[in-house]
Amino acid sequence: MAGDVLGIGISGLLAYQRALATVGHNITNVNTEGYSRQRVEMGTRPPAFSGNGYVGTGVNVESVRRVYDNFLASQVRNSTASFGQSDYFHTLSSRIDNLMADPQAGLTPALQSFFNGVQGVSNDPSSIAARQVLLSEASSLVERFKSLDTRFTEMNSSINIEISNIVADINSLAQGIASANQDIVLAAGSSAGNIPNDLLDKRDALIVEMSKRIAVTTVPQDDGSVNIFIGNGQAIVSGFRAQSLSTIQNQFDPTRLDVGYKMGNSAVNITDQLSGGKLGGVLDFRKNNLDEARKLLGRVALGLADTFNAQHNLGQDLNGQLGGDFFKVPALQVQPRVLNSGTGLIAASLVNPGAITTSDYRLTYNGANAYTLQRLSDSQTFAINTGGTSPYTTEEFDGFSMSITAGAAVNDSFLIRPTYTAAQNIGLTITDAKAIAAAAPMRTSAALTNAGAGVINSGVVNSPDNRVSLQFTSATTYDVVDETTGASLAKNLTYTSGSNIPFNGWTIQISGIVATGDKFYVDKTVTTADTANAGAGAISPAIVSPPDPNLRDTVTITFNNPPTTFNVAGATTGSPVATIPYVSGQPISFNGWTVKVTGTPAAGDVFRVGANTNGVSDNRNALLLAQLQTQRTLDNGTATYQDAYGQLVAKVGTQTRQAEMTRNAQEVLKNQAIESRDSLSGVNLDEEAADLVRLQQAYQAAAQVISVSDTLFQALLGAVRR
Amino acid sequence: MRISTNQLQQQGINSMLEQQGKLSKTQLQVATGRRILTPADDPAAASQVLGLTQQKEVIGQYQANADAARARLSLEESALVGVGDLLQRVRELAVQANNAPLSNSDRASIAQEIRQRLDELLSLSNTKDSNNEYLFAGYQGLTQAFTPNAAGSFDYSGDEGQRYLQIGSNRQVAVGDSGTSVFRAIRNGNGTFTTQENVANTGTGIINPGTVSGTFVPDTYTLAFIQVLPTDPITYTATGVTSGLVASGNYTSGSSISFNGVQASVTGTPANGDNFSVTPSANQDIFTTVQNFARGLETAIGTPASQAHFNNTMNRTLINLDRSLDNVIDIRARVGSRLNAVDAQKDFNDSFKLQLQETLSNLQDLDYAEAVSRLNLQITGLQAAQQSFVKIQGLSLFNFLR
Repeated sequence: MAGDVLGIGISGLLAYQRALATVGHNITNVNTEGYSRQRVEMGTRPPAFSGNGYVGTGVNVESVRRVYDNFLASQVRNSTASFGQSDYFHTLSSRIDNLMADPQAGLTPALQSFFNGVQGVSNDPSSIAARQVLLSEASSLVERFKSLDTRFTEMNSSINIEISNIVADINSLAQGIASANQDIVLAAGSSAGNIPNDLLDKRDALIVEMSKRIAVTTVPQDDGSVNIFIGNGQAIVSGFRAQSLSTIQNQFDPTRLDVGYKMGNSAVNITDQLSGGKLGGVLDFRKNNLDEARKLLGRVALGLADTFNAQHNLGQDLNGQLGGDFFKVPALQVQPRVLNSGTGLIAASLVNPGAITTSDYRLTYNGANAYTLQRLSDSQTFAINTGGTSPYTTEEFDGFSMSITAGAAVNDSFLIRPTYTAAQNIGLTITDAKAIAAAAPMRTSAALTNAGAGVINSGVVNSPDNRVSLQFTSATTYDVVDETTGASLAKNLTYTSGSNIPFNGWTIQISGIVATGDKFYVDKTVTTADTANAGAGAISPAIVSPPDPNLRDTVTITFNNPPTTFNVAGATTGSPVATIPYVSGQPISFNGWTVKVTGTPAAGDVFRVGANTNGVSDNRNALLLAQLQTQRTLDNGTATYQDAYGQLVAKVGTQTRQAEMTRNAQEVLKNQAIESRDSLSGVNLDEEAADLVRLQQAYQAAAQVISVSDTLFQALLGAVRR
Repeated sequence: MRISTNQLQQQGINSMLEQQGKLSKTQLQVATGRRILTPADDPAAASQVLGLTQQKEVIGQYQANADAARARLSLEESALVGVGDLLQRVRELAVQANNAPLSNSDRASIAQEIRQRLDELLSLSNTKDSNNEYLFAGYQGLTQAFTPNAAGSFDYSGDEGQRYLQIGSNRQVAVGDSGTSVFRAIRNGNGTFTTQENVANTGTGIINPGTVSGTFVPDTYTLAFIQVLPTDPITYTATGVTSGLVASGNYTSGSSISFNGVQASVTGTPANGDNFSVTPSANQDIFTTVQNFARGLETAIGTPASQAHFNNTMNRTLINLDRSLDNVIDIRARVGSRLNAVDAQKDFNDSFKLQLQETLSNLQDLDYAEAVSRLNLQITGLQAAQQSFVKIQGLSLFNFLR
């Protein structure tokens, strides 16, 4: 029927009902997360031919479309992932930052109290009370190290839990997205290709939720489903199927969880490939912040324990015994990879605490006695060849050396972490207050009968760390000079290949044929041969057990007539012992001590160096121990203990500050992305209100069309009735 | 630009949250007075603060060390004052005994006082510090420094150790002197040589301690007097063990005899065969000096020769007492200068500490004026954000669709 006014009116009513319903849907979903506003698209109904032309038949709802932009949506996902990572990184960093914030809670006060205790002993070396104070301060210091480290390990455990939780979330979101894919594909199939807007919104919301946890890449498929990839292209959702992640133990360190991706029956470790979102933040924090903090703290513990012990070993305690170990020096952690198939063993030992870095090292066996040591901080590698010796002791790398026992299979690897567990494993060896070595083991005296004006100083015990050079004056003789004190330790010694050469508390051997002018060095107990050596002599590693065994033997220095030379006598001395030229103030070194005689001694004057028997009031070693506080012993001689701890605080502070700035920048980006999306897809109530008015009016007008059609019909009826 | 209703709301809320965050931080700064709340606020300064705090604490410890040094040095000084006074008294007695004609019993009573003084000296030399350590025993503070032995002299059981305390980063101060340097290492005689009469002398010759003229040639010299017949003039010869005969001549009482750097004079009338020795000075402890004095007083005088012996002993005692006193005064001066050094170091430490405190304060303390004005600004900002939020939220087209 041409000109079906009623039909046209009804089509308008229906269309505007639908449109009003959509506005209502928009208004009611104004607070629905991820909702994109919907628009009713209207079109004219197909016109009817009425002989003299086509006549319109009314309006038709063509589709309900959501206002959506794929680019804006992906921007939201990406920025959400980046913000998620930096935000969580910042949250975790702040925890360490707050730990360091309280000046009373850090290491500084404990370190200070400890050294105040040392000074206390130095002020009153025979006082048991002062010694007890030092012992208790030392145990507080050790406790402080442990408790700070415990906070770090606790954080590590909570990170493990966090990783498990996030992985579980990601898995359930993947399931959700896969089933949303299914719903969408089914819905589209059963509605002749019409898209179910609300389901798409729901799936988008799920993907954004996943982006909060990890960075994702989405690839839309023709059928309406979306495939989701993480990391380096690992599919987590493909079509209707969700792939699951799992947590697996780290191959070197069973106390930490990594993320695994299931491939067949096994899980591949993809931890290092993951980024973005909360998971990226956690992993980043663990690797770059928590581990670093632990290692920086560990380095202080390791350095303090070793350097303090070294000086303590050179002293004498209240019982007249040589100083034992004060601290328990934490062992250097070596962790074999779980998958190692060989039986090779690696042990790492501390050589020079000053050269220790906070890096970890990986030692890998390449076969044929060849190993590669890689410093993980800068990936620099060092080749090691044991030449078949087992156990083989390597040279020093960054302050430590390794003992390699053969038996490793090719590709077996070991993680060496010198400082990682040091703060946890430092301990106190000393338990008896009397065993604190405040005194020096030797003392000097001038005979009362001396006629001259020579004065002998109180002397020092040579440290095995002193740099000592051995220079060959011929193929069979050599001189030994302590380059740190400048004292000649021996002159013209006869060289026997392979025989023990003991000085300053260490013992080495030189073997092979040497040439005149060849030089060998012992520096901080690390032995080296001069690169310019012409001979084939080789120096062994130093065996260190300070101090010199003959340190406390009685030695007399007697001046000859004329007193320009002196003789040295004692049960055990080095060489030479007769007619040594006298130079006022020149260091004289025998049996592991160095003294200086100054002034003008007369012929026959006698000076003695001997055991410090009953020397309970002597505080010389305590003074040296106290001075360690301000000595730059760590980080290649650039940092005191406090400085090294300060580096930790500065690092934590800088990282947290940086994290905060990154987080804030990412937040702005994320907010901008959300704003752009919302400004397109979000519901504006005023707009909807206006639409409501507009559509209501249109609806009323359509109703009026029906009313007119009724009037027309009534008019027709009236005409017929008449 | 089109804005969704949620966006409008969220923007308002975000700006309020941000203002609140800033406000709460400023409020915390004002409440604690700290500019740096966590290391992240200023990482470089936070680490610097730790270093400076340590430096300040270390200086505090140096101050405590300085106090300990002061206490010990003061104790030593008072012991040395005691020894000085004692030696002064002994010297007065020596002068008195040497000059006045005294009976044997008078001298015996002086000797008794000297013995008392010797005991007192012994107890002073064994002075203990607050920690019950013997002050003058060197490193062996728990071993009694001086003990009388069976032979009547005094053994030293200490050593020459000297304890130092750290009172500044590069400053150590000795907080004691060994028994050897205070009581034992004292050159007898005039410090270069000492003169002594032969105990077998029968004449009345009295030798003075002598003085050094020119360079003393170390040797053991014997100054012998010869008078074969009572009518002969008295002649002397001076012979060194290695130098041989170095001087000879006619003797005149009181005139000086010089040889090889020695200038001495003998008074009185030496008998034929009497001789005196001139030997290089050796160390003699204060106890021996005082002991010899007492023994001299306790030896009865009956003959002119024994009087001469007594006078010779007194001469030696006087010079040795002077030398002992000089030594004690010298050590006291050293202790005094150490005390001065301790005080100077304490002042220096104090000012350094103050300086550190100032630097620390600059680094970590809050500038209240700046913080309070910031607080006000932030409060205003938050209020503005809140008011505008409420106003904007009130705007809705629905309000007019009634």
